[in-house]
Amino acid sequence: MSQSSQHSIGSRQPATRHVALFVTCLVDQIMPEVGVAATRLLQRAGCQVDFPTEQTCCGQPFYNGGFRKESARLAKHTIEVFEAYPAVVLPSGSCAAMIRSEYLHLFRDQPEWHERARRLAAKTFELSQFLVNQIHWQPSKPPNGSTVTYHDSCHTCRMLGVREEPRLLLRCAGYSIREMAESDRCCGFGGVFSMRMPETSNAITAEKLRLAADTNASLLVTVDPGCLMQIRGLADAVDIRAEHLAVVLEEATR
Amino acid sequence: MSTTFPQFRSRARRGILDEHLQQALDHTTEIYRTGRVEALGKLLDSEALRDHLKAIRSSTLARLAEHLETFERQALAAGVQVHWAHDGAEANGMLIDIARRHGVKMAVKSKSMVSEEIRTNAALAEAGIKPVETDLGEWIIQLAGEAPSHIVCPAIHKTRQQVAELFSRELNRPVSTEIPALTNEARQTLREKFLAAGLGISGANMAVAETGSIVLVTNEGNGRMVTSLPPVHVAVVGIEKLVPTWADAAVWLELLARSATGQPLSVYTSVITGPARPDDPDGPQEVHVILLDNHRSDQIGTAYEEVLQCIRCGACLSVCPVYREVGGHTYGSPYSGPIGAVVSPLLFGLEGFEALPHASTLCGACLEVCPVRIDLPRMLLELRSQEVGERILPWYDRVVERLAASLLASSRRWSFLADLARRLVRPISRNGSLRLPGRLNPAQPRNLPTLSRRSFRAVWQDGEIGDET
Amino acid sequence: MTAREDILGRLKDKARPEPPPAAWRSRRQYADLAGSFIEALSGAEGEVLRAENLEQALEQLGRLLEDLQARRVVVNDEAPLSDIDLSSRWPALDWHIAARTPGDLREFCAAADVGLSGANAALAETGSVIIESGAGRSRLSTLLPPVHIALVSTSLLTADILTWAAARQGASLPASLTLISGPSKTADIEQTLSIGVHGPKRLIVLLYD
Repeated sequence: MSQSSQHSIGSRQPATRHVALFVTCLVDQIMPEVGVAATRLLQRAGCQVDFPTEQTCCGQPFYNGGFRKESARLAKHTIEVFEAYPAVVLPSGSCAAMIRSEYLHLFRDQPEWHERARRLAAKTFELSQFLVNQIHWQPSKPPNGSTVTYHDSCHTCRMLGVREEPRLLLRCAGYSIREMAESDRCCGFGGVFSMRMPETSNAITAEKLRLAADTNASLLVTVDPGCLMQIRGLADAVDIRAEHLAVVLEEATR
Repeated sequence: MSTTFPQFRSRARRGILDEHLQQALDHTTEIYRTGRVEALGKLLDSEALRDHLKAIRSSTLARLAEHLETFERQALAAGVQVHWAHDGAEANGMLIDIARRHGVKMAVKSKSMVSEEIRTNAALAEAGIKPVETDLGEWIIQLAGEAPSHIVCPAIHKTRQQVAELFSRELNRPVSTEIPALTNEARQTLREKFLAAGLGISGANMAVAETGSIVLVTNEGNGRMVTSLPPVHVAVVGIEKLVPTWADAAVWLELLARSATGQPLSVYTSVITGPARPDDPDGPQEVHVILLDNHRSDQIGTAYEEVLQCIRCGACLSVCPVYREVGGHTYGSPYSGPIGAVVSPLLFGLEGFEALPHASTLCGACLEVCPVRIDLPRMLLELRSQEVGERILPWYDRVVERLAASLLASSRRWSFLADLARRLVRPISRNGSLRLPGRLNPAQPRNLPTLSRRSFRAVWQDGEIGDET
Repeated sequence: MTAREDILGRLKDKARPEPPPAAWRSRRQYADLAGSFIEALSGAEGEVLRAENLEQALEQLGRLLEDLQARRVVVNDEAPLSDIDLSSRWPALDWHIAARTPGDLREFCAAADVGLSGANAALAETGSVIIESGAGRSRLSTLLPPVHIALVSTSLLTADILTWAAARQGASLPASLTLISGPSKTADIEQTLSIGVHGPKRLIVLLYD
């Protein structure tokens, strides 16, 4: 029975890396295919992937809303669930940034939790960051003739410093990239912002979509489920499909 | 003056639908964005300079009293009359006293954010003294009875036709809509005011303690006019504008215009150190500096102290996705954009301006471009947290968030309720979206996502993610 | 308690030891100071005429005054102009020398066609001319007329504002010191550049060795 909370998938031979997958609440409940694709990619890269079933939410929406106590409660839960693992991988730049950077601010007045957060942060990575920088995995597929455009999610590029890694993976998977103007311009999601100030949020997204459509790429790729959700909400208006990096890479490297 | 959520939203809607404003915002912010990058690129050490300016600003605020005393001592020695004001009411009162003492009927003003903050024009008008804005953008919005909509370019939202209309109403005759002609009208009309005014009122970009000087930066020359033509000049200066030495001021000046508009330097950098000396052929006979607190000292030693390092360049406005869509008037304060979202609640009260800390996606673009690297996103988060602590957010907000947090604390509870919810929304879901009629969709026209047919954890636990090896 | 005492008291209570950074040293060095100055000022819609010496610069000045059809010229009584008998050299013009010629300086400046000055310093990086108030040095002469002509010796050139400030360390300041980096301009209406708002419409520097 205790196995079910430590249920893992991986190669039979000794795995190169043992990682825990933190799918994040959006992926879990809204786009599970992203989690599936991330798992398969990590496997393909030689990892043994665990899914600690006690996981829920990193606490970001509450933190961003000013609900520090509530956010801390979820952050502590997250730390407890994941701290025993050698590495934690997330298919979400913003959630990875929450753990890697914001947890330290959240626990600035609690030295014991601050230290535990710091240790977890040091081994927590966004998916592309992990694949490229930690295990140096790159597919090698010939050009497939498809052009994509990549959206630099705010937390991913500004807080994690991840810009090149997703692009490298896309190129190695056979895609050519046509950069949109202001690829790091916000998509308009901002978490609860998208519901508190929907008209402004939508106006920002419309601009992002326009810039993406200008590239004439058929596919917009992002590493953030929040951005993906937001962009898809208005993508009917333009002729562009939006997809998560994990799904795109998984398809291309089967 | 206030910005509640409904107010922000309705003003935002207006801004988003205003086609001219949208074009102006796109055009202007792009010029400023690209200008800034190009101008900083020409410096040899722009990143190191930014770090250096930040260190200057931070260390200055750490010992602000000392620097203010040095400034006062040096300024007095140069013949400046130095005044101290707790708040806007006191500062305006002093201004009016000085004006009355000199029988001033009309005062010319160069662009001063602080005077907008403390509503100097209204106070002067009430006291029977006519204030005339002389920065072209400020004069335009004064004629229109509006607030500035950008820190550097106040009339960004006005078309030339609107400007022509304002001018013709003021001058009582028809006026061409061509921009050179409009500029010429302003030059001639305001020239008369400069020459006739009994008082010149300015702000200051910085106050240099070393020599008791104030520095005014303009492109038009109205800063020089206001501080050279009238017999009396009064500068209202926020205490956070202090800079200890000329070496420090030079670093500030090296970064200011480049960050603001992409120019290496603004056309005129005026350094004023007291009234005209005995041998000077012209210049004001009296120079006053009113050092204004107005909640600035309150921020020292708090999580918000950093905001006092702002050099008023406006770079954050040009990159903010929110500002770029809604424009300055939406913020309901003379300070708009990211800096305004933080500073306005601090100056005017969080309650009443509770929407402003939420007028952000926390994208971090502002922090990226701020010459002094003010961590505005962090301060927005701090203000949001303060709203929760002070119960400024509506009660149902707090109830929903607390409920959601306790649900998410347990994966079993969370999974159970999520699975229940997915069954309930199935009938109104299609292709990954909730199918809601427009009126029931708060995010309309954006489609909201629906819950997937199965959760990831269900897929995992059913062993469906096969082993590929 | 006065506002002064109150504000200073509050700030002193919260003071903390945070040493300022060491003074900044500019690395900017130009092989051709004059060339860089010309490039920078021209880029800001200023005009620069190059002369090999003061006499050539004065000849250029004469031609300029003719081209401008100038009638009234106000001039600051400072180097290199103070030693020149301007009214003898160009007798057809109405000259007002600040603090020397009798009559209302302000009125003359407001009606003048050209304001003529020297300079105290010049910055290559930003194309700036630095002028100071003082005996014989009017502020209005370089502000009110539609054209400002400045005679600037290349010996006054320094690399940038950082170098200039560092060199000035401790020096006292006049009542007014202005860095002028071009003619007056604005883009306040529809973000369209307009030259000549309040200050001069043209800034012409006669740069001589």
